[in-house]
Amino acid sequence: MDHLLLMIWHALLVSVFFAFLWRSTTTGRRNLFVKTFLIMVVGAAALGWLMFPFP
Amino acid sequence: MTAGDSKSQKKKPAERVKDQPSEGQSRASVLLLLGSWFLPGLGHWRLGKKRRAVVFAAVVFCAFITGVLLDGEIGTPKPESPFSWLAAFACLGNGVLAIGRLVWLNGLGGLLGSFPFGLQGGGSPSAAGFAYGNTFLYTAGLMNLLTVLDVSDIARGEKD
Repeated sequence: MDHLLLMIWHALLVSVFFAFLWRSTTTGRRNLFVKTFLIMVVGAAALGWLMFPFP
Repeated sequence: MTAGDSKSQKKKPAERVKDQPSEGQSRASVLLLLGSWFLPGLGHWRLGKKRRAVVFAAVVFCAFITGVLLDGEIGTPKPESPFSWLAAFACLGNGVLAIGRLVWLNGLGGLLGSFPFGLQGGGSPSAAGFAYGNTFLYTAGLMNLLTVLDVSDIARGEKD
């Protein structure tokens, strides 16, 4: 089981969902999708990396 | 605001009565919301938002199936754990998917006989994907509940 792939899959589903829920134009949806997807994936990776020094 | 504006905002009693939803309309709205909860995407489809309906249904379905495949557990209420009610609420948000899964696990007789306590939610706590599976199941249910609120907004004309 690949944890990273599961996180990316989860981020993808949630980003698509909120893009269609909160935006009604194609451009708006695409922008929100990219923004939320990147925040979730890159943010989770960054947080994981920051937690390395802690036991 | 001018005097004309305030005059135009005041409505005559007859107009106010006309604006209020009739009993048939509110019943239809309740049915619409219940249908939207029960079958993901149905509410948007009925309101003519077919593209959104397909996307929402696909997202909720994919998240739910992923959760089940990862050995996630459908949240069921447990008397000793108050937070289990929150998990049950989130999972029941999946509508027919959650109910179908519970029927699959407990049988129809078992579901009705041991409701609400004593239901089997499936999943395997020792499985590597148990926590991930639960997350997918909760997320799917909560997303479907958000679509119900969205349907309510669209039906009331507060959103396109």
